[in-house]
Amino acid sequence: MTRFGKRDESLPDLMTEAALAALADAGIERPDALIVAAMNPEEFTGEGNYGSLIGTHLGLSQVPALRVETATSSGMAAVYTAFATLAAGIHRSALVVGGEKMTHLPTPRVSEIIGRSIDPHERSYGSTMPALAGLITRAAMHRRGFALKEISLVAVKNHAHGVRNPYAHFREAVTLEAVMESRMVADPLRLFHCCPISDGAAALVLTAEPAAVRIAGIGQGMESIAVRYRWDLTSFRATQAAAEVAYRMAGFGPERVDVAELHDAFAPFELISLEDTGLVPAGKGGRATVDGETTVGGRLPVNPSGGLKARGHPLAATGIAQVVELVWQLRGLAEGRQVEARVGLAQSIGGLATNNWVTLLEARR
Amino acid sequence: MQDLLAASRCPRCRRVVAPPARICPDHPVAMEPHLIPAVGEVVSFTTLHSPPEGFRSPLHIAIVELDGGARLFCHGEETRGVKIGSRVSVEDVNSIFYFSHMGFADRARLFWRRTGYRGEKVAAIGKSFVKGFWKGRSRGER
Repeated sequence: MTRFGKRDESLPDLMTEAALAALADAGIERPDALIVAAMNPEEFTGEGNYGSLIGTHLGLSQVPALRVETATSSGMAAVYTAFATLAAGIHRSALVVGGEKMTHLPTPRVSEIIGRSIDPHERSYGSTMPALAGLITRAAMHRRGFALKEISLVAVKNHAHGVRNPYAHFREAVTLEAVMESRMVADPLRLFHCCPISDGAAALVLTAEPAAVRIAGIGQGMESIAVRYRWDLTSFRATQAAAEVAYRMAGFGPERVDVAELHDAFAPFELISLEDTGLVPAGKGGRATVDGETTVGGRLPVNPSGGLKARGHPLAATGIAQVVELVWQLRGLAEGRQVEARVGLAQSIGGLATNNWVTLLEARR
Repeated sequence: MQDLLAASRCPRCRRVVAPPARICPDHPVAMEPHLIPAVGEVVSFTTLHSPPEGFRSPLHIAIVELDGGARLFCHGEETRGVKIGSRVSVEDVNSIFYFSHMGFADRARLFWRRTGYRGEKVAAIGKSFVKGFWKGRSRGER
């Protein structure tokens, strides 16, 4: 993957950088298929036909290529697509690459483009992603007892992890006071509870041959795009459904997971996701964070990469970057932030938790 | 007597949604027209400090669960004193829902603020009066 952050290169250049590194690591020059993830490249960069565009840019113009999109979880949808073509026996290897280029546009414009993944009626009320996240956060604080301090500690922890990740957008630690006193964005959410706008790309190669790490399970879960159609705002049914499918496919449960990459686009989402994936019992997400269980060195390190909060969130790159981080962790290549792990879990949220994924990775003994 | 809002009901699962929708979100079947009372309670609310273009800052948004079983997105003039679970009434002003949980005087003030220039105000007051008369009495507090 590329370093995330503010990048001057074009999106095809970023994707190429990530893709060539993944191909070199896999020792493959020409994969059987190319799966590209990009959420809104037409709006962000003005270019379309991304499967063909990236194939040609990469020197793989004759390789069958697709573009996959499920809003902010597009990267994981691309991993799933590649996995499915291999599982079906259609291909023996697939290159998955995803990315986004956004920082060249003004923030309100970026917000508006990302906001197109919100239900049109709710958007007509001025709802943006932070607004919907603010509604969910307040409900979760009220009904599930999340404290603002617990939520803020997620951001502090993930920034501390990002310091040790050379690919991260932010490599500075933040204090609890700085988070809790940062500018109010969507009451009760503050600026430092929200992930940044980042450029970047991530890539990986899936192969049908035995490799150091295997996908043990992958599941997709859905929820209505309209937040007003949901009866429970304080957990994400889409994550719970995805986790159930992934655990069933893997044949084991959350007790086997040693490390996780969760979709902390907003800090409270890490607490919600911890509980939705069954990694901690319901109601214990805040406690686990305060007790340091989810810190590198704790019982269950969560977002050793820094998560979306510190590594950054170039939309369609994120799901792939989560898997890349876990593969590095499971292979012992996560220099400076290495944890002891055999099984990793990645959870990716599409839109406001309308199209979510849970992926389980297992190191081969 | 209170206002009613247009909604839709699924003939299969009885789910109610507002504003009206053609097809149930959970079943591919046509929904039936349905009316629900415009009162309910606040499920959550937020204040957006840099709203999208075309919206006033700060922008108050709430999700209200109506007694008839549908949840609505609403704007509010303010969120001071609002809590999760607060009882509110919802008004449809030019196809935008507004929630308010305040006394009569406050509601009159908001009404005044929301309507536009003087001509519009007079027309709106006239309309409201006629509507009240037509129903037998004007809209009071719950």
